[in-house]
Amino acid sequence: MKELRYVGQRIIREDSYDKARGKTIYVGDMKRANMLYAKLVLGQKAHAEIEIDKTEAMLVDGIEAIFTHEDVPKVQYNAFEWHSSIKAPRDEYLLNNKARYVGDRIALVVGKSKKAVEEAIAKLSIAYKEEKPVIGLDEATSLAFSKEISTGDYEKAFENADYIIKDIGTTPKIHHAAIEPHACLAEFDDRGNLLIWAPCQVASQIQIHVSNILNIPLNRVRVVKTVMGGSFGGKSIPILEPIAAFATYRLNRPVLLYMNRTDTILGTVTRNATKITVETAVNKEGKILGRKIEAHVDGGAYNTNAAAVTMALGKKLFRLYDIKDQCYIGKAYYTNTIPGGACRGYGSPQAHAITEVNIDNVAKTLNMDPCEFRLKNLIEDGAKDPTGSTDIGNAKIKECIIKGMEAFNWKEKRKNIRNKNTNRYSYGIGMACGTHGNGYTGAYPDYTSVDLRLFSDGSVLVNMSIHDLGCGTLTIMQQIAAEALDIEIEKVKVTEADTLNTPADSAGTQASRVTYVCGAAVKEAGEKLRQKLIDTFCKLKGINQDDVITSQGYIFNKQSNQKYSYSEIVVEAEKTFQEDMSVFIKYKSPANPASFAACFAEVKVDKYTGLVEVIDFLAVHDIGKSINPMLVEGQIQGGVQFSIGMALTEDIDIDSKGNVKSTNFSKYHILNSTSMPKVRTMTIEANEPYGPYGAKSVGEMATVAPAPAIINAINFALDTNITTYPATPELIINELNKKS
Amino acid sequence: MFINVIVNGEKINIDINPTKRLVDFLRDDLNLTGVKEGCSEGECGACTVILDRKAVASCSVLVGQVNGKEIITIEGLEKDGELDALQRAFIEIGAIQCGFCTPGMILSCKALLMNNPFPTEDEIKRAIEGNLCRCTGYTKIVEAVQSAIEWGHGNDE
Ligand code: FES
Ligand code: FES
Repeated sequence: MKELRYVGQRIIREDSYDKARGKTIYVGDMKRANMLYAKLVLGQKAHAEIEIDKTEAMLVDGIEAIFTHEDVPKVQYNAFEWHSSIKAPRDEYLLNNKARYVGDRIALVVGKSKKAVEEAIAKLSIAYKEEKPVIGLDEATSLAFSKEISTGDYEKAFENADYIIKDIGTTPKIHHAAIEPHACLAEFDDRGNLLIWAPCQVASQIQIHVSNILNIPLNRVRVVKTVMGGSFGGKSIPILEPIAAFATYRLNRPVLLYMNRTDTILGTVTRNATKITVETAVNKEGKILGRKIEAHVDGGAYNTNAAAVTMALGKKLFRLYDIKDQCYIGKAYYTNTIPGGACRGYGSPQAHAITEVNIDNVAKTLNMDPCEFRLKNLIEDGAKDPTGSTDIGNAKIKECIIKGMEAFNWKEKRKNIRNKNTNRYSYGIGMACGTHGNGYTGAYPDYTSVDLRLFSDGSVLVNMSIHDLGCGTLTIMQQIAAEALDIEIEKVKVTEADTLNTPADSAGTQASRVTYVCGAAVKEAGEKLRQKLIDTFCKLKGINQDDVITSQGYIFNKQSNQKYSYSEIVVEAEKTFQEDMSVFIKYKSPANPASFAACFAEVKVDKYTGLVEVIDFLAVHDIGKSINPMLVEGQIQGGVQFSIGMALTEDIDIDSKGNVKSTNFSKYHILNSTSMPKVRTMTIEANEPYGPYGAKSVGEMATVAPAPAIINAINFALDTNITTYPATPELIINELNKKS
Repeated sequence: MFINVIVNGEKINIDINPTKRLVDFLRDDLNLTGVKEGCSEGECGACTVILDRKAVASCSVLVGQVNGKEIITIEGLEKDGELDALQRAFIEIGAIQCGFCTPGMILSCKALLMNNPFPTEDEIKRAIEGNLCRCTGYTKIVEAVQSAIEWGHGNDE
């Protein structure tokens, strides 16, 4: 095989030049002639009938319109539906008729300036007739979804067990905290299409909803994905876009709909909070015989992703340990709180948060090292999913642990770390494993198309519907295209989604599918186009395939020792054969294997204050092949930041009345530079079949295992059994008090 | 009120409402949209600019407070088409993902280096403790600053 020139290299992202110079245009930086500004008015009560009096607000100078439920189309939808074939209970309107949570969108104010809009919002008079809200899973009774997944006979396994270890734990609602607040811009383009500029994950999902709600044909709705200041799932379901589109449609003016941080926390979606009960049955020899898991998922006030996330959470539980007899019961409930939505890891972080702590507790009961215990029970390469779902693939989780133990000096540290303890500080190390998927195959449609074109000047356009969330996806596609086509990488440009101009893509940037699925499509396209060039060249010159080689944008005729640039061949071929030099690929993802990681953490716990400091962190990822190690490290390091937040500080704090207390970054704590450890990363690259050059996912995977690794480290340091996330200082002090 | 201010080396004299936030003045009046707004309350650092050699959150400063002062935004860091060493390092080390925190992050680091050309790792981390990043976990950002120092950051003033 030819040596790889671009794949596996630390290629610098082209977009970083403009980002470093402040030249990049995000949607909030866009301006249009005659543009109006719009802002949502969010309900202040968790459960209430509302009456809105706009009279005074309408008098504010510069106000163009104030819309409420009465003004919007009476079309119910569920913004979660991301493909024409997906149907979910539809229970939301553009503007809702009742306040069902603090943050529910009940009006839209549109004006000539932000100042006018803010002033009008302050003058809006809203009367609430309050009803009793349902807050949190303990109060919830109204089911949004429920499902059982079972393999074998877990009850029988329980009968044969020497021990059954049970844990109950909770995970919080989490704010995505992309530093760019939510925004979008709608306008009519010069051909009369309704055009929406959006930092989004699935442009076609916005197109579907706008078309449905406003009753405009799909071929008149153009959604263009803009540069995105982070998403992490938060900008996945269309929240603002259909509303902005409606305002433009009604007012026939460009409308920029913007949110501030508080609105972004209250008025979008969160990671679903969960309460999870795990019972694991083992024998004395340390083999897991069976497991039962019941997860309760807080779906929030609207249905959104209740079913999908509850299913995704459960399915992962069958793909990490070799457990024949297992039962998962998942139930999602409505509450009067912020609705759930996609959030990096999509159920996996919650599932592993509790099960991986439980695994440590099982090991402890058996008096076994937690790594050794896991090694005895983890799945092997080539394992099948016992539920009949897609094959797990080339699973290298055991290798992650073995390599990680060595690099972390696990055995020695585990034995001696407590020697560092003082009266005030306790030290501990802990680890955890995790798994995540590679796309939707097996559950939902997962296909994409690539229109790959070589221009007459030798430049290349990879026309496809990519959504780079900020991770560098475009660079990954560029590397793959350059590699497969054998051309200098600077010549390659990759497009982002534009629903009337880029080819179809079923699912956008979701479900860890982009490198694995879209990357494989690009590779196939690149290889086909290279072959087409060779065929054309041979036909033009009347020579044999064996007589030519390609290299970096040139074809060599070995016979004549002459070299031709791709550009020359394109020009000649277009003239001679009257055909452009392009290929169009329709790609269906044939598989959906698992990615894995094992994480190792060392913590220092201050027993006086309850503060936890993560002093060392190692993440070992099974990713098949690293297309760009620099970007892979960045994904892992960022994922660890996300996950440490879940372990220690992040929680959307909602009181019993449904009022949200953490409405800004001084009350919602994401980790800053001084609280983050230096994150060490390692990758196991053992080639995943069907992945482009053997690659599989990493970005979501990175948020799964760190949190339980940290909780396990804390529990080891303090000899506690914390299963509540986040382990805040108050919680830790409480646990310590319980012990003494 | 008439305000005199130097922005990215250019003298500006303008009649303006002194209670306008600096971030709005820079973004809306001067079209310097490299200044980002992520929280509006001085907590995320996305709107950071350098005001008389100090990094400040421009969402928490009013235009009336900058009279007679000098401001540098991300757009003013390039000298004659040449990137600042910090900009180069952020690019080359991979410290930029979504890029929304980047202008503020770079300017906080720039202000640090203006006043302390050879900071320790801890000093770097402290200089950016008010700049939140949700993408990178800060590891590569700290490495980028260290690289810029190693490469020599042009003996700033
Ligand atoms: S926008 Fe000024 S600090 Fe966040
Ligand atoms: S790069 Fe996205 S917030 Fe820092």
